[in-house]
Amino acid sequence: MNIVVLLKNAVDEAELRADPSGHPILKGAATKMSNFDKNGVEEAVRQKEEHGGTITVLTLGGADSKKAIREAMAMGGTKGVHILAEPEAAPDSLGTAYYLAKAIKRIGEVDLVVCSEGASDTYQGQVGAMLAELLDMPFLAYAKKVEVVGGKIRCEQGFERGVRVLETKLPAVVSVLSETNVPRYPTLLQVMVASKKAIEDVQLSALKESDYPETGFEVVALTIQPVNRKRLILEGQPEEAAKKLLMALKQEGVL
Amino acid sequence: MKSVLSYSEDVGLAGEVSAAGVEVANALGLEAIAIELDVVSVGLRPSGRVVLVQGGKTLEDDTDLAAASIVEVAKAKGSQVLLVGDTRFGRVVAAKVAARLRMGSLGNGKKLRVVGESLVVTRDAYGGKFLADVASKLPCVALVQPGSYSASEGAAVPVETITVTAGETKIVVKETKQGRQAEAGIKSATVIVSAGRGFAKKDDLLLASDLAKAIGGALGGSRPLSSDLGWLGEDQQIGLTGAYVHPKLYIAVGISGQLQHVAGIKDSKVIVAINNDKQAPIFQVADYGIVGDLYEVLPALTKLLKNG
Amino acid sequence: MKLFGPEHERVLLSLYGDAASEFDDLLRSFSAVLEAKVLPLSLGLDQGKGDIAETRRVLFDQGLSKLSYPERYGGLALPFGVYALAMELAGAADASTAMSIGIHNTVADAIAQFGSEEQRRRLLPSLLSGEKLAAFALTEPSSGSDARSMSTRAAKDGKYFVLDGSKMFITNAGEADVYLVFASTPGGHSAFLVEGSNSGLKVGSPLREKLGMRGSHTAEVRLERCHVAAEDSLLGEEGAGFEGAKKLLDSSRVIMGMICVGIARTAYLKALAYSRSRELFGKKLSDFQLTREKLADGVIEMNASRLLCMHAARLKERGLTFASEAAQAKVLATEMSARTCDAAIQLLGGYGYTTDDVHRHWRDARLLAIGEGASEVLRLLIASRELEPKT
Repeated sequence: MNIVVLLKNAVDEAELRADPSGHPILKGAATKMSNFDKNGVEEAVRQKEEHGGTITVLTLGGADSKKAIREAMAMGGTKGVHILAEPEAAPDSLGTAYYLAKAIKRIGEVDLVVCSEGASDTYQGQVGAMLAELLDMPFLAYAKKVEVVGGKIRCEQGFERGVRVLETKLPAVVSVLSETNVPRYPTLLQVMVASKKAIEDVQLSALKESDYPETGFEVVALTIQPVNRKRLILEGQPEEAAKKLLMALKQEGVL
Repeated sequence: MKSVLSYSEDVGLAGEVSAAGVEVANALGLEAIAIELDVVSVGLRPSGRVVLVQGGKTLEDDTDLAAASIVEVAKAKGSQVLLVGDTRFGRVVAAKVAARLRMGSLGNGKKLRVVGESLVVTRDAYGGKFLADVASKLPCVALVQPGSYSASEGAAVPVETITVTAGETKIVVKETKQGRQAEAGIKSATVIVSAGRGFAKKDDLLLASDLAKAIGGALGGSRPLSSDLGWLGEDQQIGLTGAYVHPKLYIAVGISGQLQHVAGIKDSKVIVAINNDKQAPIFQVADYGIVGDLYEVLPALTKLLKNG
Repeated sequence: MKLFGPEHERVLLSLYGDAASEFDDLLRSFSAVLEAKVLPLSLGLDQGKGDIAETRRVLFDQGLSKLSYPERYGGLALPFGVYALAMELAGAADASTAMSIGIHNTVADAIAQFGSEEQRRRLLPSLLSGEKLAAFALTEPSSGSDARSMSTRAAKDGKYFVLDGSKMFITNAGEADVYLVFASTPGGHSAFLVEGSNSGLKVGSPLREKLGMRGSHTAEVRLERCHVAAEDSLLGEEGAGFEGAKKLLDSSRVIMGMICVGIARTAYLKALAYSRSRELFGKKLSDFQLTREKLADGVIEMNASRLLCMHAARLKERGLTFASEAAQAKVLATEMSARTCDAAIQLLGGYGYTTDDVHRHWRDARLLAIGEGASEVLRLLIASRELEPKT
C-alpha cells in the first residue's frame, strides 16, 4: 500500500509565552509534532506493517518541521516530503489542503491518506475533509478503529450523536483520534537510521497554480487570555476543608 | 436578496447558530436562513426563515449528502456567510462545503463580526492560552461553538422546501454501534462536577455522581475518562476537543489541569479544584482549591450538602 | 518537565559541530521516552513503590547500553560523549535507574576490553540487551578507598579458583545474573566473573537505611568457598585486575558525574518553577536578588560540571588518557550536585524540607561524592599528578 501520512509541526503551547503587551512570542517559539498527528503516524505504520508498502510523511511548514518529519520516519515512515512555508505566511485551511493535494498528486498512486482529528495548536479540523474533496476521495472522519481488507477500508466513526461502522473503497482519506492507538517510541537505532535519510523539499511556488483559492485569510489579533482566578487553597482535614468550601461557594452565590 | 445561512445537525445548537446568523445577516443587510435537512426538527427555535432540504435519502446521515444539500441552498440563495454548528459532524460538513465553494472556513468561533468585506471570528488559540481574531473575505464558512450564542424564542416561521437529487454515497454504513448517549446536559448545566484520572476505577465515579446529585449538577469529565477509558460518554467530555461549558460552578475532581481541558472551562463563573497533587496546574486556574484525597473530600462534601 | 533543554542543544553544537543535529535528534527522542516512561515512576521508586527493573527495561530497550558499541554488537558506534549526555538525561529522569544501569554498563565494558573471545561471545550480547544484569563488586566492609587492602582472596585449586570474602554496598545485588568480583591473588589483584546462581555467592539483606538512591537494590555480597572455573571466570590477566579496574573507573567517573548533573538539573527546574509562582511581600520569589543569585549559581555550576565531564569524555574519544580530567569532573559534578540540590531545598522552603519529591534529589546526589572514588581520593590523585616530576 502506498500511504501518505500528514503531520503538522505545531507550536508547543505549553512553552509559549506572551510579551509584555500580551502577544504570543511566536518567533523562535518551541515547536513539536502535533500530539494527535503521532496517532496518525502510528496508524500509518501499523497499516504498513500489516500490508507492506511505503509511507510518505508529508508536511507543510517552516524549517523546524524537518524535526517532526524525522520523528515520523523514526517511527516507521519511509520518506519525507517538506512543503516549505514560513509560519508568518502560512496559508489557511483551504490553502493548506490545496498545497497538500498538489503534492500528493505528484507522488502518484496513493492508496491511503492518514491524518488526525486536528492540529494541537489551532484545532480546527478542516484540512482533512477539504483535502479529501480536492483529491476526490471519500473521507472517513474521526476513526476510532481502522481496518483495511481487500482494497476496502473500514472504520468505527465517533460523532457526538453516535458511533457507526463505515466502509469505503480505497483510495481514501482517514482521520484518527488520540484513542485510536498508542504511538510507539522509536529506539535510538531507529532514530539514527531516520536522521540519515534525505527529506525532499518542495517550494510553494512549484505547487501554486492559477486555481489557488484566495480566501483573504488574515490573523487580525492575538492576545493572551488572562487568568483572573482567586487561587485560594482551603486548608485543613477533608471535613474542615469541605465546610470552608461550601461556605465560600454560598458567599459567591453559586450554591 | 443574498443571504446568511445557518445549520447544525444538533437541534439545540441549530437554534444558537441561527441566532448568530441573524446577527451577521443584520450587520450585512442580508436575509437570514436556517437550513434543515430531511425534516424540520421539533423544538427548533430558529430566527429568520427556514429552508428544508429533502432528497430521496436521509441527507443528514452522510457528510457528503449534507454538504451537497447546503451547497445547493448556498448557490440558490447567494449566501455570503455559511455558519455551521461546531460539532465533529459539523466540522466535516463545513470543510466540504468550503472546499466545494472555494471559500475559507474558520473554526471554533466564539464571536463573529463583520469588518469591511471580511468576517472576523474570535476563537481560542494555542491550547486556549490566547484569543485569536481571524478573518476571511466574504463569502466564507465559519463554525460556531455551542454556548456562544443564545437561541432566540423563535415564533413559528414559514418553511420553504427544496428538493434535491441525492447523489451516490461512496461511504457505506455497515452498522450503528451506539446511538446518542442520554443527554448529560453538560452544555447547559449550571453546576458541573467533573472527573479526571485521579479516580482509580470506573466504580469510584459514584463518588462524583453522588456529589453531582447532592449539589444539583451534571457529571462530566476530562477526555481520558470518556475516550481512552470509556468510563463516561463522548458527550460528557469537557475540553478543547470536547465541550466548552459555561456553568456557574465547575468542580474539577482528580483533574490535573492540562491546557486542553482548561480551555473548555474558562467561562465558568467559579472553578473549584480537588486534587492530591499541590503542583497540579489546575490550582493555577481555580478560584478555590483543596489539596487532598478526593476519596475523603467528596464524601465529606456530599454529606454536608445532604445535611443542609 | 523537558529533560532535553537548550543547554544540551548548545553543548552538542559547541562540541560536535556538524554532527550535532544527528545527536540532537537522538537525545531528544530519548528524552521523550524518559519523560513518558521513567520520570513518572521516579518518585515512587524513592518511596519504595514500583520496580526498578521496569525503568531499567525502558533504557535497555532504547539501546542505551549499546550506544558506543560497534554495529556487530547491535550498537550505534556513537561517541562516548553522546553516551555521557544520554546518561545525564537518564539521571535527570531517575537517579537510581541511571546509576544501576551505569554500573551494569561498566561491567559490560570490562568484558569488552579485557575479556577473552569466549567470554565476550558468552556474555556481551545478553548484557548489552539487558537480558542479563551485572554488578560490580570491589568495595568491602573494611576497604573502600583503600581498595588494595581488600581481604577477599581467590585461591587456585586445580582448574578452579576458590573465592572467600565479603563485598559491601554492592548495587544491583540480588538482582544481578553476573558479578564482577575483585579478589587478591598471589601475583596481585584479579577480577572474576561469578554467576549469581553460584552457590558460593550469598547476597545479604538489602540495606534499608540508605539516605538516597532508594530505587536501586544495595546489599552485602559474601563469597563463601565460592568455586569458579578459572578459564571461564578470570577476566583478563591474573594479578592485573587492579590496573584494569582503574581504567574502567575513569570512564565510570565521567558517567557518575553526568548523572549528578542530571540530578541537579531536575532539582533546579523544580526550584525555578516554584520561584516563578511563589508570592511573598507583594512580589514573586524570583524577583528577589538572593533568589536570582542561587539560580545563576546553579546554571553556572551545572554547565561547568557538564563541560568538564564532556572534556574528559572527548579526550577518551580521541584515545588520550583522561584519568585526571575524569577525577576532576567527578569531584566537581558530584559536589556541585549536592550543593545545587541543597539550594533547591532552600528555595522551596518548608515544602522543600517536607516533600520527598524535592529532597530526594539531594539524598540521591549525596552518594556520589562518596562512591566510585571518594572526593578525597580523587583530589589526591589530581594533586599527585601535579606534583609528579616533569621531565
